[in-house]
Amino acid sequence: MDADKDNANPTIINPSDLPSRRRSAPTAKRPGIFDALAPAYPSLADPLSSPEASSDSASSDEEREEIDEQEVYDLISTISDPEHPLSLGSLGVVKLDDILILPPTSPRSRISTVRVLITPTTSACSLTTVIGLGVKVRLVNALPPRFRVDVRIKEGTSRTADEVNKQLGDKERVAAAMENKSLVNVVNTMLATCE
Amino acid sequence: MSDIELYLFEVDKNKAEAHDIAEKSASRLEAKKLKLIDLITSLEPYINNKDDGSIRAKSVGYLADVLAFLPLKALSGQERRLLCDFILGRIEGDLEGVGASARALVALEGLGKWDVETVQRVMRTFIDNTHPLRQFKLQTERYSIVQLIDLLLAKYREASRHLQEADQEFMPSFISYFEGEKDPRNLMIIFSLLQVPMTEWDVHANAQDLFDSVFNYFPITFKPPPDDPYGITAQDLKDRLRDCIAANSDFAPYAFPQLLDKLDSTSMNTKRDVLQAIQACVLGYEPNTINLYSVTLWDALKFEILNVQEEDLAVESLKSLALIAARLTDSADGPLNAYLRPVIKECNEHLEDAPTKQSEASGRILHAIAVSGYTAADKVVKGILPTLFSLYNGSQSITKRRGLLEVLNEIVAAYIELGASQPEAKIEALQASAGDAVDAMIRALVSAPKAEVSFRLASLKGLAQLVSAHGVLSEKESGRAVDTVTDIVLHEQLEGHGNIRAQAIKALTDMAHSVPHAVRDRSLPAFMVELPDVPAEASSPGPVLEAFAQLSTERQIFDTVALRLKNKYNSARHQGAPQDYQRSLLLALLYTFTFGTPTQEDGITRAAYFTEYAAPLVTDVASSSEHQSDSSTLEIVGRIVNVLLRPQGIHLQSTVYNHNVQWLASAVKDTSQAMNLAPFTLHYYAALRPEVADAEDIVFVLKAQADLALNATPASKGADTVLRHISLLVNKFINPKTMQATLEASDIEVGALLSGIPSPQAISVAFAVVKGLLIQGKTGALATKYLQALLDLLSTQGRGIAQRFATLLTPDDILSKENHCLVSGLYKQKIFNQAVPFMTAAVRTADATSKPNYFIALSGILRWLPYSVIEASLPSLVAPLLQTLDLTESTDQSVKASALVIFESVLMHDSTIVAEHTASLVTRLLNCTAGPTNHASVRAKALQCLALAPRQLKREAVVPYRRQVVKRLQACLDDAKRSVRTEAVKCRTAWLGLDEGNEDDE
Repeated sequence: MDADKDNANPTIINPSDLPSRRRSAPTAKRPGIFDALAPAYPSLADPLSSPEASSDSASSDEEREEIDEQEVYDLISTISDPEHPLSLGSLGVVKLDDILILPPTSPRSRISTVRVLITPTTSACSLTTVIGLGVKVRLVNALPPRFRVDVRIKEGTSRTADEVNKQLGDKERVAAAMENKSLVNVVNTMLATCE
Repeated sequence: MSDIELYLFEVDKNKAEAHDIAEKSASRLEAKKLKLIDLITSLEPYINNKDDGSIRAKSVGYLADVLAFLPLKALSGQERRLLCDFILGRIEGDLEGVGASARALVALEGLGKWDVETVQRVMRTFIDNTHPLRQFKLQTERYSIVQLIDLLLAKYREASRHLQEADQEFMPSFISYFEGEKDPRNLMIIFSLLQVPMTEWDVHANAQDLFDSVFNYFPITFKPPPDDPYGITAQDLKDRLRDCIAANSDFAPYAFPQLLDKLDSTSMNTKRDVLQAIQACVLGYEPNTINLYSVTLWDALKFEILNVQEEDLAVESLKSLALIAARLTDSADGPLNAYLRPVIKECNEHLEDAPTKQSEASGRILHAIAVSGYTAADKVVKGILPTLFSLYNGSQSITKRRGLLEVLNEIVAAYIELGASQPEAKIEALQASAGDAVDAMIRALVSAPKAEVSFRLASLKGLAQLVSAHGVLSEKESGRAVDTVTDIVLHEQLEGHGNIRAQAIKALTDMAHSVPHAVRDRSLPAFMVELPDVPAEASSPGPVLEAFAQLSTERQIFDTVALRLKNKYNSARHQGAPQDYQRSLLLALLYTFTFGTPTQEDGITRAAYFTEYAAPLVTDVASSSEHQSDSSTLEIVGRIVNVLLRPQGIHLQSTVYNHNVQWLASAVKDTSQAMNLAPFTLHYYAALRPEVADAEDIVFVLKAQADLALNATPASKGADTVLRHISLLVNKFINPKTMQATLEASDIEVGALLSGIPSPQAISVAFAVVKGLLIQGKTGALATKYLQALLDLLSTQGRGIAQRFATLLTPDDILSKENHCLVSGLYKQKIFNQAVPFMTAAVRTADATSKPNYFIALSGILRWLPYSVIEASLPSLVAPLLQTLDLTESTDQSVKASALVIFESVLMHDSTIVAEHTASLVTRLLNCTAGPTNHASVRAKALQCLALAPRQLKREAVVPYRRQVVKRLQACLDDAKRSVRTEAVKCRTAWLGLDEGNEDDE
């Protein structure tokens, strides 16, 4: 079947409806519009009291911001679809709910797992494997090594799910795929839109 | 030798000399020293030379040159006729020198107008005897002929037209005459001269040939040579060619099919040219002609919009569609209907599966067509809205409804644009559906789940637009719209996802522009209900107050908003509301005067605002200064006074100054009170024009402030304000000529302050004084001396001094031109030129303990300088800046950050400068990415710099570090801070990307 005819008119999610950290985490101290009225710069009397430095030092040592599902989503939602000039996020191929971070299985292990389930735009989408590969490459490059990346096709969304899952799960085959120059080019174009 | 002999001798070797000879002949001819007949006779042997064509050509050239130098009336009418006959006669028998003949004729024409017969003879002679033009190999020859014909067509319209009417054979040979011309200079003229027959002659019979003769050149792919002296661009040719294509309605049967055929081209530039040409045709051809092709055009153009290849092509296609609608509007109803019927049908079909790219494109198409005029807009509304609403009501899907609303919004937006440009509104059709639209949108805003952000935003935008479309909504309907939006602003307390308050405030402000009375009568009272005089413990009116203040950006309701705020403040004050609340109200007032749009008189804010709003506040401060102890409130009062007082003229300012000078003087004397009052006095004095204040009073105030600053304890809060006040007074009020004396009189002469072992307070005051002087730039020697004194301290003193250097260039909104300060245009360069070379030199010899001082001071200075200032000195700065990155103390973080910012700019703009330091730069940047010794901002900035390296530096320079960088960045991917991790991902991607080039090369 012609790839273009798979799904010529997918539903597009409006950007303002996509999950983002700004919305999911209510910010406690939102800067008011009046704050700009009295700008603060490092002062003559105490040059070290610059506001940026103080607010920074206050928070930087305190808390660690853990890598969470939203962060993983932000990493992969901006990947472009190989056939539409749209992002995987706006096509609903990757969804926040389908990302799961599993903590280390035993207290001695440091290895966490990131599981991403992919929903192809149609069950017959012929480029599912490439999309999966793109997501996998992106995460392997962008997450620290203590994460194991597990990319699968969401159950019941693709006719070729089993086959694709096998391919994506197999380290050797992923490595072999990344030796294929034309495949590398496709993946790189997909990832080019990532920030 | 005769002139002709001399000329022939020189012409090939020395053009200028040959010209001089021709000019001499011309002046002799003019002075009657030479007879025309003799001149012609002298040409005889050469112009008829049987053996050598080039000599014949040059002889004609001589004649042309001589004629070109002759002034008006030098030749009689008979002489000119004879010459004309002579030249034309030659052409019939001999084509050598035809270009020169054309030049000679142009010169002759310049000496006296031709009659019809001559014009026609000249034209015929050329078309009959020199056809086709391309037989002449020299561009200059053809150029002269083309110029001659251009002249004939431009000046003798009637004569040349009669020629064509009298002889059917003339036109075909005229058209084919220019065939095959390739030179852009000639083409520019040919395209231009062809416009005459195209627009003025009856060319119906020859339309196709005429059209093809120019369309052969489409699309223009000409690229001017790199050092083209003629300056003809492809765009010039395109413009002229386009005018030709669009010149005559008779071209339409050939133009549109061929243009649309070329629209399928794979070249984007060709498509751009086609769209430009189509637009020109739509404007140029008769509406009746456009009517014949309107649907064909739609069928082709729509693909550019429905499946966007390039955004600009879509925009141009939309423009073309709109132009067609506009052209057809002028004629009867039928053509426009015939054009819009398929458009509306197709758009309606796309609406059925909204939201898709196609439904979005339909919105754009309908917007473009509706914007072309009320008639078209009316038809669009009648054709689309019934379907749109039935789909809307027939669907439960919020996504689909959102898609439909977006299309509706596009159509309404067109009405707003129409309303702005065309006063005679025709809005009945939209009015009929507006009620339904308002209902649907209000329902969406009130009842849809709050998480459906895009749906609610589309409704919000739609409401604001409907209210803004002039006259569309009834008063009742706009009232409901205003109420709904007001309610969102006041009562939706959502945080995070679903919060659309910011957009709602914006929508309300937009509405206030169109229906100020509705907002004034309905929204403002609702806001006041939410703002208590004395807030109850739990409630926080902050967001309401912020929203209220933002309404002041609309001029028509500004006065009401400001007045309500003032009254609210007064009642809050009298009823003893908490200080925080009072301060918020004052902040809101300050916001309205700073970012709102108060009424202006003669370009400045109305003086009445000062007397009504600021003056009472000043009176309050004066009378209650003892118990009103909150200095942060006093600062806001000061800022309000400042913003209202500073633009006012001397007269008002003097009155205000004299009114307040007394109590301020006594307040300043009292040390405890003065410190508290400092934020107010600072802003008050900043507003005054220097000529208003009394010199003695200023010295008195300066002295008092100096006292305060020198005796301040390190912990005292107002010390900074006092120092800024000193900078202000020094900069603005003190006569530069008596500067040193005044400083001495006030005990703040910098030399004295820094003598011995200066206290931290003295150093602060010294920096404040120097800052005021440096920005002023009027006391060059003194400022230089003082700055040097400060620089000298670097080698002996601790880090405190070094850190203070950053304050010299720190922006200060007090020291500004708006506050009547003296701000030298070059002060940044001046400080740079004095301080930086000194420090870069001193650091080389400095010992280990004072070295960091120089790094800190240096980056403190560089931090605030624009890149253009430091650009030239970068090579000498790189080394110290690299060492700055090695600083490790926690107080040095901002120093490192500013060094990194400079490296970022350098990598962006002048990466060659750091190229030789690649190794040490990469290592140091990597070191800066390690936590927790580096702050998050430093880590992130270092990663940003590092990410630039693979892109900005030469590949072979960075490739050796790829392994190392990629490996070490793995740690950064696990940084504690999310923002740092984001940068680490970007950075690592950039370095991983280096790999690809490698493979391509092999």
